[in-house]
Amino acid sequence: MLEVENLWAGYDGMAVVRGVSLRVDAGEAVAVLGPNGAGKTTLFRALARLLQPLRGSVRFEGRSLDGVPPHQVVRCGMAYVAAERELFPQLTVLENLELGAYVRPDGVRRRLEAVFDLFPRLAERRAQRAGTLSGGEQQMLAIARALMSEPRLLLLDEPSTGLAPRLVAELYRRLDLLRRRGVTILLAEQQVGAALSLCLRVYVLKNGGVAFEGPSSELRGSAQLRSAYLGGA
Amino acid sequence: MGVALDGLVLGLQLALLSVGIVFVYGLGGVLNLAHGQVAVAGGLVTALLLQAGQPPLVGGLGGVLAAGLLALALDRTLLQPAYRRKGEERLLLALILTLGTSFALDGLFTFRFPNLALSLRLDPPSVELGGIRVRTASLAVGGLSLGTFGVLLLFLKGTRFGKAIRCIIQNEAGAWLCGVDVARARSATLFLSGALAGVAAVGQGFFSYLGPDMGPEFTILSLIVAVVGGVRSLVGTFLASLLLGMVNALLSYWVGTYLTWIALLAVAVATLLVRPEGLLAYWP
Repeated sequence: MLEVENLWAGYDGMAVVRGVSLRVDAGEAVAVLGPNGAGKTTLFRALARLLQPLRGSVRFEGRSLDGVPPHQVVRCGMAYVAAERELFPQLTVLENLELGAYVRPDGVRRRLEAVFDLFPRLAERRAQRAGTLSGGEQQMLAIARALMSEPRLLLLDEPSTGLAPRLVAELYRRLDLLRRRGVTILLAEQQVGAALSLCLRVYVLKNGGVAFEGPSSELRGSAQLRSAYLGGA
Repeated sequence: MGVALDGLVLGLQLALLSVGIVFVYGLGGVLNLAHGQVAVAGGLVTALLLQAGQPPLVGGLGGVLAAGLLALALDRTLLQPAYRRKGEERLLLALILTLGTSFALDGLFTFRFPNLALSLRLDPPSVELGGIRVRTASLAVGGLSLGTFGVLLLFLKGTRFGKAIRCIIQNEAGAWLCGVDVARARSATLFLSGALAGVAAVGQGFFSYLGPDMGPEFTILSLIVAVVGGVRSLVGTFLASLLLGMVNALLSYWVGTYLTWIALLAVAVATLLVRPEGLLAYWP
C-alpha cells in the first residue's frame, strides 16, 4: 500500500531523514520507533508532503506522490495525525469533524456516527470548543477528524504524547478496533510497549536511518535489541 | 448630531479599508504595507475610466477589480518567497517586500498621475431624513460599506470556501491536513482584500476626494484599526473602525484635524495596554 524508497528529507537542506526505505501492506499496523531526534516526525511530515522530500520516492497504492501538493494527500486516501494535533481550537468538536470531511462532503452524517461510535466521549462534547478539551480528548478528536476523510492509511505521529498511561491503553484499544475494521496504520511512537501491542512489524530509526526492521516479537523478546536501539526503553 | 453621523460613516469607510489588511494577516501571516497603495490604485483606475467617458458603474467596478488584481499579483509574485517561511521570518520578510512595493507604487502614482483625483459628486448633494439634512455621499458610503460587509459575512459563514478560510486563520497546518488548498485560499484572500480596498477608495471619492499620494495615509489608518480591533477578528475590526471614526470626527470638530492622528494612535496604544489582543481577540 505504501512503499518508501531511499527517502531523504530535512530542513534548509540539512537532511534529518537519510535514506529511509519502508513498506506498509494493506490491513497492517506498522510502528516506527526510535529516540527523540531520530527523524520520525520529519519522516511523517515528508510522507504527508508537508515537507518536500530532498530525494527518494514515495508510492501510495502504486501511485507516485512526487509533486502532489499537501492538500491532495488526504484526497488520495492517506490521512496524517500530527503529534501537535493541529486542531482548530476556536471551533467546536463538531465543526472540527466537519472540516475533517472537507474533501468528502457526501455521507458526513454516517461517518460522524461511526467516529462517535468509536469515541463516545466526543459525542458528549460535540458542542464544546476543541481548545477546551483535555489532552486525551484532543488526541481522540485529531484521530476522529482524520477518519472523517475516510482514509485507507492512517499516519499517526506519537499519539500517546501527553496522555496518562490509562488513556494510552484505551487509545490503543480503539486503534486496534480501527485496524480490524480495515484501516491500515503507520505510527511513530516513543512508548515502545504500547506500539508493540498494536503493531506486528517494526522499524527502528536511529540518526535518520533504519537501524532495525523486523517483527515486533523479535524486539519484544530481546532486551539486548531494545537497549541497543531504544536506549533501554 | 451631524458630527456623530460623520463619525459613523467615516468608521464604516475605515472598516472597508481595514478589513483587507486584517484578513491577509490572519490568513497569510503577512502585514501588507502596500495595502493603502492598492486602494489608491483602484481609485485611480476608476478616475481614469471616468475620464475616458465610461459610466460610473463601469468605472467603479473597474477600479475595484483592478485593486483586487493588483493584490493578487503581489500574492503570486512578490510574496511567494515569504510564504515559504514561517511565523516571524515570514512576517518580517513580507514587511520589507511590501514596504518596498508601497514606495514604488507611491512614486509611480505621483509621478505618472500627479493631478489625477477621484471625486464623485452625487445629485442632490444632500437630502432631508427625519428632520436632519444628510449628505447623500454619507448615505452612499454607509450603504456601500454595510452592504459589502453583509456579503462578506454571508460568504464566510455560509460557504464551504468561507469555512475553509476561517479554519486556515486558526491553524494553517491543520487546514492543509484537512485537504484545504491553503495557497489558493491565500490568493483568493489577497484578491478579496484588494477589491475591498478598491471599494473603500471609491467610497473615498464619494466622501471627499482621492488623490495619488494618499496611499501611506490609508495604510497607516488600516494598521491602527487592525491593532485596535485585534488583528484576527472581523467583528473586532468593524467595532474598532466605528470607534476610531467617531474619535476622528469628534476631534476634528472640537479641536482641529492636527491632533487627530495623535489621538488615533493614542487609542491604539491604550487598547494595547488594556487588551493586548485587541477589542475582540478571536475570529469572527
